[in-house]
Amino acid sequence: MAGDTTASLGGSQVALVTGGYDHTIKLWQAHSGVCLRTMQHPDSQVNSLEISPTSMVAAAGFQHIRLYDLSSANPDPVTTFEDISKNVSRVGFQKNGTWMYTGGEDCTARIWDPRAAPRTRCQKIFQVQAPVNAVMLHPDQSQIMVGDQSGIIHIWDLKTDQNEQLIPEAEASIQDIAIDPAGKMMAAVNNKGNCYVWSLSGQPPHPVPKKHITAHSKYALRCKFSPDSTMLVTTSGDCSAKIWRTSDWALLRELRRDTQRWVWDAAFTLDSRFLFTGSSDSYARLWNIERGTLEREYCGHQKAITALAFKDQPV
Amino acid sequence: MATYDNKIWLLKNIRDAFIATDDTGLCEIVMAGEDFSKIFQIKGLEEKKRIKEARALQPGTSKIREGGDSCEDFEREIITQFEPYPDIDESEDEDPLGSSYVRYEEFGGYRQRSNTSQWLDKKEQALKKAAKIKVIKWEDSSPLSKEQCMELFPTVEVKPPEKQKSLLAQQLENCPDLPHRQYLEYGKFDGTAQLGLQTKCFKIFMTMLSEKHQNYPLVVCVIASAKIKDLIGFTCYKYSIEHPEISLGSVHEYGLCIAEDDGEVDWAFPCLDANEPCSKFGFTCLGLIELKNKKSFNSPPIPMPDDGHVFHLFPKMTDSGQSHNNPSRHNTGGSQTSEAVISALRAVNEEKKSSEDANLEKIQCHIMATEAPQYKSYKVQLLRKVRTNTSVQLGISLDRIEIEPLVTHKHVFWSNSRSKYFLHSIESVAWCQILETRGYRTTFRIVYSPSQKNNSVSDKNASEHAGYSHLHTTYKYHDFESDHETAKEIVEKVNTILDLLNSSCRREYKISKEKKSQTRRSFHTKHLS
Repeated sequence: MAGDTTASLGGSQVALVTGGYDHTIKLWQAHSGVCLRTMQHPDSQVNSLEISPTSMVAAAGFQHIRLYDLSSANPDPVTTFEDISKNVSRVGFQKNGTWMYTGGEDCTARIWDPRAAPRTRCQKIFQVQAPVNAVMLHPDQSQIMVGDQSGIIHIWDLKTDQNEQLIPEAEASIQDIAIDPAGKMMAAVNNKGNCYVWSLSGQPPHPVPKKHITAHSKYALRCKFSPDSTMLVTTSGDCSAKIWRTSDWALLRELRRDTQRWVWDAAFTLDSRFLFTGSSDSYARLWNIERGTLEREYCGHQKAITALAFKDQPV
Repeated sequence: MATYDNKIWLLKNIRDAFIATDDTGLCEIVMAGEDFSKIFQIKGLEEKKRIKEARALQPGTSKIREGGDSCEDFEREIITQFEPYPDIDESEDEDPLGSSYVRYEEFGGYRQRSNTSQWLDKKEQALKKAAKIKVIKWEDSSPLSKEQCMELFPTVEVKPPEKQKSLLAQQLENCPDLPHRQYLEYGKFDGTAQLGLQTKCFKIFMTMLSEKHQNYPLVVCVIASAKIKDLIGFTCYKYSIEHPEISLGSVHEYGLCIAEDDGEVDWAFPCLDANEPCSKFGFTCLGLIELKNKKSFNSPPIPMPDDGHVFHLFPKMTDSGQSHNNPSRHNTGGSQTSEAVISALRAVNEEKKSSEDANLEKIQCHIMATEAPQYKSYKVQLLRKVRTNTSVQLGISLDRIEIEPLVTHKHVFWSNSRSKYFLHSIESVAWCQILETRGYRTTFRIVYSPSQKNNSVSDKNASEHAGYSHLHTTYKYHDFESDHETAKEIVEKVNTILDLLNSSCRREYKISKEKKSQTRRSFHTKHLS
């Protein structure tokens, strides 16, 4: 209930984290809107947030990735990954939390494996020609999609190190790549506001162009599939988050608010009924998708929110 | 050690010291009208101008006027008594008086730690923090063989996730109405764990709640740029999270007052101004109060029914005195009991009304007391016995009363020599009162004594008003006319100032009035109330 304000989070609880330009990462009690804890992220903005399967939250920033322990009250990171020359744009985790993958402005995608024994370490690096904006691990855990600023999507096969290239729109910077949890569809959005969808089939999964949606009139920022694969959300600099039905690509909902500015990130709940958005108006919001109504607002950041991560729990 | 002999500079610094170190903010209110630095700057410029002109009139200065630069040099040489110390910003002492403004810790009088030790402390803490953080640097490991890759990155079979119920959805359903939601917008003023932003901590006592909730203050940390109204909002937000069972009202209903460490609110001081930033106030213990307690208590009066129909309030009244055993006491409506009840109801209502009025009066008095010393000017009509009334600007401040004629174009021919400018030092003003009200116009009088310190530039014609004389003091007066509200305000303002200062002139006038009223008991004069 609202009065139950535990500052730390056990593994069995719902976690919503937001970060942005005010050098803090906030952990929220999602159902009440109360900020449970504020963690410190000094010196740089937060480009991306991801909650690991072991309840750690990784924050990708300028020249580093910081790992915070959600289950403790420690406001500082427990681990810092360093020695990166530029901004880290995206961070993700392997299904079991064994390793972490990132993509950055230094034109690389990397796999970080902090395990002690060098023999079992699977540290890898993948070099491309342009800054990497998006990295996405396929649910089969053996392929990473790497989207770069020149408009190319590289499909990096981790087993063979081979890669296939897709260019949906020449010279249009890829901003985000999403793969649905069933591994059947891949979507990408670019800085022209266009969204491209491929179907993935075969082993290894081979992309076949499926749909082009003129999703937004401005810069698109993120795209994500719902857990039940029936919806795709695209967020944009046009201050909206749009939800598309994957069966016929009809626009289901356009989530806007007067004060809402650029929508930098979004996340679905486990039952695909609710969506979180984070905006540069420093508010995170929870929307009821069916009704298109605003359920909660999370107010506490002093500056823009540019990253959001949500971990739900099954009942 | 340094000695300072420039009176102007000393005065300015003393004034600034009062304003800077007064946590209640009242010094600023009182001294707001007197910006000495500006006054002295203006005076300094005037003085310089005067000296320059005087020098220019002297022979042999024409050479200096050749170059523009040399003119400036020439001006720079003139130092008047209104100058502060030269190059004060580059002073070696580095603002020696400024360091005396530094407030000491609450307990004990040890001086604050120097910047170096604070910086070293911070460094040490940062190092300790960094030591706890594990740092992993990217290591370019030897390339993995194919077999290794196959082993390390096995393809996992992808199963479409089964439909699951969300814990969040359940939690949302169970918590629909949250008391703190009305204060959500104030959540952003939270100062905890904010890096790089100044924060301020307060202990807020919830004095508007019942006793048991007042004992422990709520410790609140806000960003320093938050205003008092934001602090109130954030306090309500935090409190309603911690105590959802207690409902708090709208943020506008509350105010913050200075309080003691034990939570005792200092009612003598007004509430902190809601629009001021928190960082301005040095007090860390504050009490949250309901604003309506400071205003009049607005409970409605008990409904006063018509006499004789009070029975609906007290149904048993009809049976007053009724007794089964005593039939003579049946139906005694209008009995002593009912009369007593009616008069009691009336008394309660009147008391409520008068306490309302008393509270209102108190508030108004308080407002008057703070605003009275501030300069304010009014457009009124100066009444003259012989000539037509003239529009004047009546300026009232703590040290003087100015009467400045407002010359309109119509009257320029008639009145240029007639209307004169009057300036009376407040020390010489003895009395101010409303004389009479006729329709929309009200006449009021200001009585002064010209024999006191008086800079009046009045001509002889103006001083033909009949005066009161008591012993050696002659009193004269100016009569004015204005609308009722303005007249009332002026009279109240002047009287507040006069009461504040209580000059000898006023005291003497009061004495003389008393004596007169004793000797003229049988008269009803227009002038004396």
